[in-house]
Amino acid sequence: MTKKFTYYPGCSSEGSAAHLDKSLRAIAPKLGVELEDIADWNCCGASVGHIEGGHLPMMALSGRNLAQAQAQGPQDVATPCAACYLNTHHCNEQMRASERLKAEVNEALSAASMNYDANLHVRHICEVLVNDIGFEAVEAQVVKPLKGLKVAGYVGCQTVRPFAATERGGAYDEYDQPKFLDNFTRAVGAEALDFQNRTACCGGSVSVMSPEKTLHLMKNILEEAQEKGADVISTPCPLCQTNVEMFQDQINAQFGTNFQIPVVFYSQLMAVAFGLDADKDAALNQQLIPAPQIAKAAGG
Amino acid sequence: MTATTAPAGARKYDLNFARWVYENVDGGERMAKCMQCGVCSGSCPIGTQMDHGPRKLFMMIRAGMKEAVLTSNTIWNCVSCYNCVVRCPRQVPVTYILHDLATLAVKEGYAEAKQADNARFAKAFWWSAAKYGKTDERLVTMKYYYSFGFGEFIKRGRANQKIALGMIKTKRMHLGMPHKVKKGGELKAILAKAAEIEAKKHG
Amino acid sequence: MSDRKTGVYLCGGCGIGEGLSLDQLESVAQENKAGLCRRHDALCTEEGVALIEADRANEGVTDLVIAACSPRVMTDRFRFDGTPMVRANLREMCIWSHPAGDEDTQMIADDQIRMGLAQVTRMKTPQPFTEGEWSQRILVLGGGFTGMRAALEAAAAGHEVLLIERSDQLGGFARNASKDLPHKPPYREPQPNEIGKLVEAVQADDLITVKTNCTVAKTAGMPGRFEIDLDQGGTASTETVGAIVIATGWRPYDATRLGHLGYGASPDVVTNVEMEKLLAAGGVTRPSDGKAPKAVAFVQCAGSRDPEHLPYCSSVCCSVSIKQALELIEADPETSCYIIFDELRTPGQAEEFYRAAQEKGVIFIKGKVKSVDGSLKVLVDDALLQEEVPMEGLDMVVLATGMVPNSTVADQPFENPEPAVIQVTDDIDPRSPLTFAGAEAAEKADPAARPMMAGAPLLNLQYRQGPHVPILADGFADSHYICFPYETRRTGIYTAGPVRRPMDSHEAAQDAAGAALKAIQCVRNAQSGEAVHPRSGDMSYPIVNYNQCTKCRRCTVECPFGAIDEDEKDYPIVNPSRCRRCGTCMGACPVRTISFENYHPEMISSMIKSVEIPDEFDEKPRILILACENDAYPALDMAGLNREQYSPYVRIIPVRCLGSVSLLWISDALSVGYDGVVLMGCKPGDDYQCHFVKGSAMAKERMSKVGETLKSMMLEEERVTQMEISIADSKAIAKMIDDFVETIDSLGPNPFKGF
Repeated sequence: MTKKFTYYPGCSSEGSAAHLDKSLRAIAPKLGVELEDIADWNCCGASVGHIEGGHLPMMALSGRNLAQAQAQGPQDVATPCAACYLNTHHCNEQMRASERLKAEVNEALSAASMNYDANLHVRHICEVLVNDIGFEAVEAQVVKPLKGLKVAGYVGCQTVRPFAATERGGAYDEYDQPKFLDNFTRAVGAEALDFQNRTACCGGSVSVMSPEKTLHLMKNILEEAQEKGADVISTPCPLCQTNVEMFQDQINAQFGTNFQIPVVFYSQLMAVAFGLDADKDAALNQQLIPAPQIAKAAGG
Repeated sequence: MTATTAPAGARKYDLNFARWVYENVDGGERMAKCMQCGVCSGSCPIGTQMDHGPRKLFMMIRAGMKEAVLTSNTIWNCVSCYNCVVRCPRQVPVTYILHDLATLAVKEGYAEAKQADNARFAKAFWWSAAKYGKTDERLVTMKYYYSFGFGEFIKRGRANQKIALGMIKTKRMHLGMPHKVKKGGELKAILAKAAEIEAKKHG
Repeated sequence: MSDRKTGVYLCGGCGIGEGLSLDQLESVAQENKAGLCRRHDALCTEEGVALIEADRANEGVTDLVIAACSPRVMTDRFRFDGTPMVRANLREMCIWSHPAGDEDTQMIADDQIRMGLAQVTRMKTPQPFTEGEWSQRILVLGGGFTGMRAALEAAAAGHEVLLIERSDQLGGFARNASKDLPHKPPYREPQPNEIGKLVEAVQADDLITVKTNCTVAKTAGMPGRFEIDLDQGGTASTETVGAIVIATGWRPYDATRLGHLGYGASPDVVTNVEMEKLLAAGGVTRPSDGKAPKAVAFVQCAGSRDPEHLPYCSSVCCSVSIKQALELIEADPETSCYIIFDELRTPGQAEEFYRAAQEKGVIFIKGKVKSVDGSLKVLVDDALLQEEVPMEGLDMVVLATGMVPNSTVADQPFENPEPAVIQVTDDIDPRSPLTFAGAEAAEKADPAARPMMAGAPLLNLQYRQGPHVPILADGFADSHYICFPYETRRTGIYTAGPVRRPMDSHEAAQDAAGAALKAIQCVRNAQSGEAVHPRSGDMSYPIVNYNQCTKCRRCTVECPFGAIDEDEKDYPIVNPSRCRRCGTCMGACPVRTISFENYHPEMISSMIKSVEIPDEFDEKPRILILACENDAYPALDMAGLNREQYSPYVRIIPVRCLGSVSLLWISDALSVGYDGVVLMGCKPGDDYQCHFVKGSAMAKERMSKVGETLKSMMLEEERVTQMEISIADSKAIAKMIDDFVETIDSLGPNPFKGF
């Protein structure tokens, strides 16, 4: 049985997190998930759009995406990106709560003869996997369990905060010690380390613009992973993946460390464990820091 | 935080500032319930690099210290981790409020605000989002570096060259024309209308 | 004595039978002249009680020693009215707190029987004081909210009420006030002020007589028969009442003393009381130019919690400022209100009110106001920012001043007509904000010039101890705050409402009901000759043996309740219904002339002496514990209940209050060979817990002089001590006892043993 979602891949799917998008599209059919892209999706505004754009234009960005989703059918909207989820879900819930906002967004949308009734449900892909698919269904698809692979599950911030424990957010996990990612790790046969930094912040967009302010945050995360002997760090968040992976050289230079830890998406681990192609499907060739340990675990 | 950074005519203290924030900032009405417990400041991963923790910033708002609030680096250094939001016992949406204060600081023309990394980055980001409907990470980054001047642009570009090359090699950054929405005109019209409504609302 | 016959009843239940030799106890009873001795496995059963009843009916048993559980339990079971009875505590204070089958434990039980027999044979069934006429009428002083509520409560219970109001109409403060604080769920909105309805209800009540323009010139007598001289607009009259409720309310703290907060610097700096009147008048306009204020700051604790002004919190000012801010915002939503507080105190459900105000945009600033100037610039030392913040552009500043109790008639000067009738030491605390002139004169040790309160006494009591109701450092009436809040230290006179402590109208309504009920209890008990709390129902009262009285006046001065006056020859005159039966007079009397029919110096002396004292070679010291029956004795019971074990060398005698302890008992004990004496009672001092207010303090004062006595006997001072015990000390008490026994051990035996 296949369940259909309107899919919002987000800007990073065409850039820094292309491997998240690719691996997700590869595992989706195995898990009975059909993803139909929002026809002409646009940027959500991320966590800085409001500064220059302002409050309502920011909402209008999500409004346009949701208006298209509405036109594509009543099915839930799903997105794999933390920031896309945060903005789109927030906009949707605010429009549902405030008639005033709903009217204003629709007034803006009317400039392009569009309209959104605020009746859809915007969900994070991880929440969909937990609530609609289930860990057992993931486990059932595993043909090459990642035996012995030590995984530090790094959830980050916005995937779970501030909605994971709310009713509309699917109430699928908690904020400080979420469990879903470790459960994904176990489902693919790997070992989930007790990772205390699982919801520590990588610095988000501040790391992109002013890394000198936040390198120490990422250093803390990497340090624990290294101490606990992690083969890889697994994450659901595009920006977490990019930040924690690409800044390792700079961190090593500044702190005298020797980090060289692969940072992958949970969906890449699933793709390998499901027996799909390591490069074409799991997109492991898109790692800045290669992760041969994964293929090795799957092979052995 | 000197008076010279404030726009002309701005007052250092403005008793009405708190009321204004309560009524105009996203989630501001809940800030009225802040009981100054400090869970937000204690939860902040980057609190040591903030001029003021959110708790103190909120108290400054109540005390009418408009200039000090809008020139505080707190609103720029927020990493949007939402720890404070989920932990606040009074359900004050701290992160959202900080975001809107940043918008306000830019709009009111506070010098620090305009020079903040975040504001420069936001300008570059919005340029891409509004023009192409999508964030082109390469162009946004370049435009951001360029905002510091040509020298800095070259310097930062060089420093990040290895990363950039890696990203290009792994097909996580592409050269050539940016990705963009198909119906760019449609998006432009929507954003223009939204900006118009907002401007009307805040006079 | 020949016509009395004591029955001793030994209970074998609850482990007593297994842990003690009842044979041995029986022979002790017989040696000590018990008329008969019986045993039962469970005396508290119907069968056990029937056994006792049968002996009273058939065997001529007139006195009872029931050796079983603590006298504090099974009180309904073991109730034989008119028969002197002692409960020898073999359970909580013997078998539960000491090892079973032990020689020392048996010795405790033996002594309990000896003490019980010594006690019961010296007890008489008290004859209550009921002579003369008794009034059931209740006087309520003050026709404001509290007074009217008290009057209605008393009338609803069927009592006639005389309601005296000093001004020309009923209503008090509330008559000129705006809305009331919320007292009903959801506690978020100011409530309508319903004082008008209350006035109508009082006027419609046939049992209530209202006298306006009326004050009390003089009060004489005692509960059940107070003679009140009234002055109604110059016309004198006399009324008799049984009890009095004082509901004279409060007045705002004098804001002219708050110049540093801008009072007087601008007409737009007003007090909360003035703001209340502006709100009540509707459409607040500022005094200077009549414009509606758009920005208003409330300064909390204006002259409150400030050693220079009122030292205490008035508890309502925070809620009142919230209410006034909400009223201003309701009238004009554009009004900005700032509440500058040190600690926002919103007791009870007022927390909801506070939240509602936060939600409606009232801005709360934690800090201290340093100054307010004529231009309404408020300088705040912001506690959360840790810097000084100037607030400018305000239209009005409201000073939240506190409540001063109307414990006196503030604006009426008082000349004490009789220098002999002065307020006794400590009864008017000189730290009280109500005191005035006289402080310097007092330093000259002139007792007649000791500091007096500003204004005339409310009742002008014709008591030996002075015209005022005793007052604490904060100016409120002294009472045992936790156990008997409405009490004053003048029996039959109760305070209710803000004259008792700062409070809002909701609390005042509860106070009015509480005080009215106490007044009702008082008039009824006075008539039947029974004590009011804490010895409710006690029919005994102090009886003076005038043949031996030396007229030393200690009893008349030391009675915590002013129950004893002096006649023209300076002999003490007891007013029985003013008495709380604590026995402080008995403890004060140096020549044992004061006694109660069931509690007297000779009785306790005999109990002390009845204990068998082992000689010095037995190495079994004996320590006398005189335990206050209010807290110390129950705490010892509880220690037993929890099976706390303590030294078996102590012998415990309950006393009514440490105030009743005669120093002669201590010398009696030491002279018969006890090695140490402990006075175990409530905490004295400013935050006393003594149920008779001054009893344990008197004991402490007397104990300070016991060292001399010990020295004259060539004994160490450490042999006698006073321990402060509260009801919560049951866990600590065993260790306290053992530590003292250790001290005594280290001193060695009392050389008077065997004298």
